[in-house]
Amino acid sequence: MKISRFKSGTATIGAALMCATVLAAPVAADDAALGPVVGPEINEAKAALGKRLFFDVRLSGDAALSCASCHHPDKAFSDGLPLALAYPGSKGFRNTPTLVNTATAANWFHDGRLGTNLNDVTRESITEDYSMNMDMRMMQERIKQDPVYLEMFEAAGYGEPSNGSVRKAIPEYLNTLISKNAPFDTGSMSESAIRGQALFEGKGGCVSCHNGPRLTDDMAYNIGAPNNPEIWSDPMRHMTYAAFAQFMGVENYMNVRRDVGAQIIRNPADRSDVGKFDTPTLRELTYTAPYMHNGMIATLADVVAFYNAGGGDDANKDARIKPLGLSADEQADLVAFLEALSGDPLTGAEYVWEDVIPTNYDAIENWRDVKN
Amino acid sequence: MKTMKNTFLLMAGAAAIAMTAGLAAAETAYAPLAPLGDPPIPDDNLMTDAKVELGKILFWDPRVGGDASTACVTCHEPDQGWGFNDSLSRGYPGTVHWRNSQTVVNTAYLGQVFWAGSARSLEKQAPSAAKGAVAGNGENDVMETRLAFIPEYRARFKEVFGTEYPLIGDAWAAIAAFERTLIVNDTPVDKYLAGDTSALTEEQVAGMDLFNGKAGCIQCHNGANATDENYYNLGVPPSERWEDDGLAQVTFRYEIYAKGVTQEMYRELKDDPGLYFRTKEKDHMGKFRTAPLRYTMYTAPYMHNGAFWDLREVVEFYNAGGGENDFTDGTMSSTKSDLLKPLGLTDDEIDQLVAFLEGFSGDELRVEPPVLPPYEALASE
Repeated sequence: MKISRFKSGTATIGAALMCATVLAAPVAADDAALGPVVGPEINEAKAALGKRLFFDVRLSGDAALSCASCHHPDKAFSDGLPLALAYPGSKGFRNTPTLVNTATAANWFHDGRLGTNLNDVTRESITEDYSMNMDMRMMQERIKQDPVYLEMFEAAGYGEPSNGSVRKAIPEYLNTLISKNAPFDTGSMSESAIRGQALFEGKGGCVSCHNGPRLTDDMAYNIGAPNNPEIWSDPMRHMTYAAFAQFMGVENYMNVRRDVGAQIIRNPADRSDVGKFDTPTLRELTYTAPYMHNGMIATLADVVAFYNAGGGDDANKDARIKPLGLSADEQADLVAFLEALSGDPLTGAEYVWEDVIPTNYDAIENWRDVKN
Repeated sequence: MKTMKNTFLLMAGAAAIAMTAGLAAAETAYAPLAPLGDPPIPDDNLMTDAKVELGKILFWDPRVGGDASTACVTCHEPDQGWGFNDSLSRGYPGTVHWRNSQTVVNTAYLGQVFWAGSARSLEKQAPSAAKGAVAGNGENDVMETRLAFIPEYRARFKEVFGTEYPLIGDAWAAIAAFERTLIVNDTPVDKYLAGDTSALTEEQVAGMDLFNGKAGCIQCHNGANATDENYYNLGVPPSERWEDDGLAQVTFRYEIYAKGVTQEMYRELKDDPGLYFRTKEKDHMGKFRTAPLRYTMYTAPYMHNGAFWDLREVVEFYNAGGGENDFTDGTMSSTKSDLLKPLGLTDDEIDQLVAFLEGFSGDELRVEPPVLPPYEALASE
């Protein structure tokens, strides 16, 4: 994986230039090859700090939610719900995606609106009003009040806690969330799954978008995924979407009754990007039901049946989405292959901050005598 | 007559102050205390019953805030003098505020709102409070969109402002209009100044004479609203909460960080520099706007950080010539007002002044809380 060439903590101008060159180069053929996900090298102290931050509710405006409130370790860092929870006073309008292997993604969020890095993803998730609604200046001062953080930031080489280093430490923790021991990677797939892989790369045509180690090309397509009516029938979900759409500059946002998806990025006048969503990774699917950007499909068998029928109805649907003519056995084989892309759960102390994190703040005793 | 005598004393006092403070004589002609009268209504936000009623509902509605928990009324509670009866105001969940919550009553008469005067109108105050991280922590897009999903608001905004969907700026206008109805202008002092000599007790009249004379309160607390809306450092001690309350320490640092000071200042400040945040003039450190003295019976504790718990404590503070803080003793600056000097008031005189101040409050202002309208799904066009 190209991203694995990043060496945490040893970045130099030379290294940065090399990376920039690599990223700017045309996608090489082997990038599309299926294979194990190789994560970046990890700086343990930074990752440990990021882990504690990930599980700390004080990183949200009203101290109600942490990153882990929606990204549950035992569900491959998704939440099992069709539509996500949200910050109190709002309700989510999309499905919580897995964070496993997110360190090696090329863009983030179902509409792919962030194509830079996890530093930006972290900032967006912490500050966005419907997710954690945090003023990061307040977050910084909360963190500075916790002696455990003072030590951990120091040990990580960040010095004094700052919102800038929070946006580095959480991505370092995310770098540790890499698929582990999937039957596909360990060569222990069932016969059915092996047949399924052949269909995946052949008759099913899945591989044309679901390729590379994470089984996604990180591009957005319209497959005619069904609308989720709950977004429009529940006024709080609709309200949350409308506020998002207003902020994103969606035209006539009060009258929109479907998630416009990637339209917000290029905003083509013919609205041809409406209904496009990023190709999701197919790893860890056994933990991340329900499926699609809005959780409208409950099981993997239903997902395969959806594609077998040629996707859904949409004027902008990608031309490659056509009825596949897969038999029931072939569909079962495809499901078996998809299931073989899930590995061990990333749970336990290696991945989860298990100590209690205080939600109150001890006073600095000699407050007047120390510098802020 | 009283008025004549007061004016004479005022002039004499003014001349003395002018000499010590080196001010131009013209600036020291204090506006005398006077009946409050009706509040000014801005031309661009005229009052209608429908607008006031809408503003009242919004004042109570926590959906005008970040997590739908914190409304205007949360920190401006009618049964706490339309303020909050703790030294520092309650804050947004997960925070505490860093200043005392001021009463909303009679704010219609103020030209500068907030302790350091950072808003010049009620229309500007409301969004600052609704959006601040230690107050409402709301975002415009979310707050505005929430209103659109409440049919009663759609109808009321349409009637008042003519819009298809509510605009958040109109919400602030409606809230300001409601606040302009929170008026107490028939206090015993108002009645007395309007000619009803029976409205104040003898003790209160003696207190008023001290206010206008020996105690010198009138130097800043002048005019109908008993404030010159100018800025002074009285040497109010820093909040004790910053010494021993971790959450208050977090907010203190947040405020100096968010309001924008130099790195050095961020490291060194241990007290609220007040007006300095607006002007970045060292001479303005520790200065706060003269508080109106009306309705104070219901608004304890007092001062920008709630340092004093009753009016007698306040008068004793002035009687001692004010106090000391980081902006009086040279730690950060030396801006204490020259107007503050030990007053030599006797215990009886202090009682008289307190009695007079209580005559500025009148009856408690209560209103029937509104019923908050529900969300409903929005039909397609």
